Amino acid sequence: MTHVDDIISGIDTLRPIPPVAAQIMVLAEDENSSMADIADLIVHDPSITASILKICNAAHFGLSRQVNSVREAIALLGLDEVIELVLLNATAANFRDEPDGYGLGEGELWQHAVISAHTAKILAENHGFASLKHLIFTAALLKDIGKLIMGRFVAFSYEKINILVHSKGYSFSEAEKEVIGINHEELAARVGQKWCFGDQLIYMMRHHHMADESARGNPETALIYLADIICMMIGFATGVDGLAYRFYSEVLDRMKLTEKDLQNAILNTGYRRQKLDKLLNLV
Amino acid sequence: MLNAHISHQPVSVMTAVNFGELKMSHNPAETLVAFSIGSGIGVSIYDPITRCGGLLNFVLPDSSMLSPSKAHIQPSMFADTGLAALFDALSDFGAQRENFKVVLAGGAQIIDQTAEFNIGHKNHQAITSLLKAEDLTIQHADIGGIFLRTLRLDMSNGDTVIQTSGQKEVTV
Repeated sequence: MTHVDDIISGIDTLRPIPPVAAQIMVLAEDENSSMADIADLIVHDPSITASILKICNAAHFGLSRQVNSVREAIALLGLDEVIELVLLNATAANFRDEPDGYGLGEGELWQHAVISAHTAKILAENHGFASLKHLIFTAALLKDIGKLIMGRFVAFSYEKINILVHSKGYSFSEAEKEVIGINHEELAARVGQKWCFGDQLIYMMRHHHMADESARGNPETALIYLADIICMMIGFATGVDGLAYRFYSEVLDRMKLTEKDLQNAILNTGYRRQKLDKLLNLV
Repeated sequence: MLNAHISHQPVSVMTAVNFGELKMSHNPAETLVAFSIGSGIGVSIYDPITRCGGLLNFVLPDSSMLSPSKAHIQPSMFADTGLAALFDALSDFGAQRENFKVVLAGGAQIIDQTAEFNIGHKNHQAITSLLKAEDLTIQHADIGGIFLRTLRLDMSNGDTVIQTSGQKEVTV
């Protein structure tokens, strides 16, 4: 087994996504599926139902009355928000762990995932991709899952990575690749393959740092990238990798984003954080 | 309306100054801390005579570029309205401008971030220009680069400590 194979085998240490959430991810990618299909899946799964009711009935969630069924939750919150709760609940267990190597505290990778997912979703709604917002939300939520496995290898090689980043002009993921042989976005794509995610979701996870020039023309992936760099600039739950990733102005140009748009997106992400802090404690 | 927190706690305490916040203190047992500053900038101002100070953690350079109503809700999000709020709060504490010790930290940039979208650089330009217009000298500025910083203001002595991710702390 090679060193990289050894790292990839670490995927088996993650807790798999529950089947219903995985099916929702597949439906979110299928233009022929309807919201009713997704609602049916959620309503008929007992463990998801229990989780959703627990979250909705927590005092901090702020609903005015008790919710006794998923259909009631959908009526009160809307299907979109219930789908997000299902996706968050399905992924939270892995992200709660403190990954070694990236200098992140307990739950910080989870905070980053949730805030960037919400930012990506809002960007999708504002830039003509509302029909793909659940797919974009999911890709942003899971894009850094590779860090959970890479962490201990990054910790072991941190000095070498740090030299490449500080002295040689490498981005953090370029340095990961050079020193370890694989980077966290490649590993995220391997997780997606192992868990049978759809091709588009895997592609977005794989290219969220836009290192591959061809990905820079993919508008859905561009939204994930943009959400990520906004979170980096704000400093939301960002670790030792900080802002050590590449900026591609052509991505923003293709989206026809101005400086004012970027600043508005940063501001709105900041305002949204307070609301999300409550959610982070519930899921 | 000033979005500032005023603390008088008698015991040693560390108070977080989050993204887009301004906090003030004249409690010698308190340390104000802005964690994980990215492209935004932490502005620490301390008056050693009145032993009061404040920490602003702003994120964007100019409120007039975006909606003024947003700046009204949270002035400390922006360099211009945030610094004005910090001056007002310091004045309320009786601090005198000639005593101000001003320290800046932040303004980080993503690699290759181009001029138009370089928020960290624009934040630095904005705060420098605003302080210059007030005839204030910046005692120390740790700006730019690609890593996050933490800025602490120790109210017992006015020491300002800058911790850049992966590097040793610098005390000013």
